[in-house]
Amino acid sequence: MSTYTVPVGPLHVALEEPMYFQVQVEGETIVALDITAGHVHRGMELLAMKRNFYQNITLTERVCSLCSNSHPCTYCMALEKIAGIQVPERGEYLRVIADEIKRIGSNLFNAGILAHIIGFDSLFMHAMEIREIVQDIKETIYGNRMNLAINCIGGVRYDLSDEKIKYITKQLENLKKSLDELYGIYTKNKFVRARTEGVGVLPKEAAIQYGVVGPVARGSGIDYDVRKKSPYAAYDRLKFDVPVENGCDVRARVIVRLREIFEAIKIIEQCLKELPDGSICIDYLPEIPAGEAVAKSEAPRGELIYYLRTNGTDTPERLKWRVPTYVNWEALHVMMPGNKVSDIPLIVNSIDPCISCTER
Amino acid sequence: MVERRIQEDFARELTQAVGEGFSLRWETDSKGVVTGWCRLDEHNQITNVALIVSKLGGRVITISAYKAKNAQQEAVHEIAYHFDLDGCTCTVTIEIPANGCKVNSITPILKSADWAERELQELYDIKLLGHPNPKRLFLDRNIDEGIMDKLIPLSVAMNGATTKTLWEKIFAGTSKEVNS
Repeated sequence: MSTYTVPVGPLHVALEEPMYFQVQVEGETIVALDITAGHVHRGMELLAMKRNFYQNITLTERVCSLCSNSHPCTYCMALEKIAGIQVPERGEYLRVIADEIKRIGSNLFNAGILAHIIGFDSLFMHAMEIREIVQDIKETIYGNRMNLAINCIGGVRYDLSDEKIKYITKQLENLKKSLDELYGIYTKNKFVRARTEGVGVLPKEAAIQYGVVGPVARGSGIDYDVRKKSPYAAYDRLKFDVPVENGCDVRARVIVRLREIFEAIKIIEQCLKELPDGSICIDYLPEIPAGEAVAKSEAPRGELIYYLRTNGTDTPERLKWRVPTYVNWEALHVMMPGNKVSDIPLIVNSIDPCISCTER
Repeated sequence: MVERRIQEDFARELTQAVGEGFSLRWETDSKGVVTGWCRLDEHNQITNVALIVSKLGGRVITISAYKAKNAQQEAVHEIAYHFDLDGCTCTVTIEIPANGCKVNSITPILKSADWAERELQELYDIKLLGHPNPKRLFLDRNIDEGIMDKLIPLSVAMNGATTKTLWEKIFAGTSKEVNS
């Protein structure tokens, strides 16, 4: 059978952001692919070295929108390590609440797009409608539906009154009712199963070899979550499970993301119940001495790391960050071959790709 | 307990591989998270470190290159390799000369280093020895390597895609077609 090369992207109806794939096919079956990146490279790391520590909180929040809270939060954690700052306990809990709300919104978005790609548009709209409950929480509590702007060095910039806690609790109850039904459709509906089961398989051995992270790793049986392995903020005091699936396929990845939503709700409820009294942030403007630090967090797409070097001035000597999607791209070389051309967008979506994150 | 063992294993294997040619310290934060900081005297030893990380079941999280000055105040590049050892981040730093710098690729040993190495090559003009796929990652081939050493206007970096340069190119191309 003849081999052809099919170009997919960089602008493609099923891709949210630009990425260029040259896919080699035999008939309708994928045999290999080549990935070309760089369409939205903005040189943000160099930019970060021209801005002071405070300006970079705003800059890092704009790396991407879906995991926008993880960036400034992890960046602040790196600064706090260098300066030896202890975030007040209440501030740590408030950081967790914001992160988990963002995780729910991000995971629901990815699950919704999956439904759209397989042509199940009523399910797509259902998922996005449920996501609106979370968007409403963000808008009400933080005043914005995407960038929350809550992080600062040494804590957070928002607080929760009893009234707001009641509001979030009520919204989470609404979310739980709707989620049960949604989870049932994703796991049991025969059309969803037919399109996602056995598609885009990434065996556990390959997942380890490629060093994939987040739901992509956990969908291939790797029990790794930064919140458990290297706890930060208040995660060491919270009870939650890390969903792991062994299907290694598109279905396993979406199930991990959906199960993580239930865990996120559990985490937020604990935080609201156990929210300690006290200040939300340190009460002084810290000086950042010379030093270096790494800070890690579990963003919605997986492990996020910030490496920061300082030299005693008010700008970073080097600020480097690696987003979860960055290490998940290469695994497409394993997931794609043997699948049909029509599954390309589905498999790409299953790594929940964030290109503005990847390229910075 | 597992973390502690992996740190001891790492230190022991490193001593066996490079003798006394390294410094290593572990830090534990208030949550009990351990972070390792290691510096190698000889940059070629990074290959041995990669072999040790692979043997211990670790992976590359990312690699950070940056400009620095050595003890003699000469301009150098430093490369910080951030490895994951079962949840413990260990940063291993090497120093290489600023001009004509080359470093052994660890991608043949740790696949997870692939994109990170390609990126540091184009950002800092650090040549990789033995990388299986050393082509550009993000930047266009028309841009010189080592852009982190100089200012590149955004319009050049994006090949004029957002400025009138793009339209000038399109019009120039169209007029040629018309003329021919």
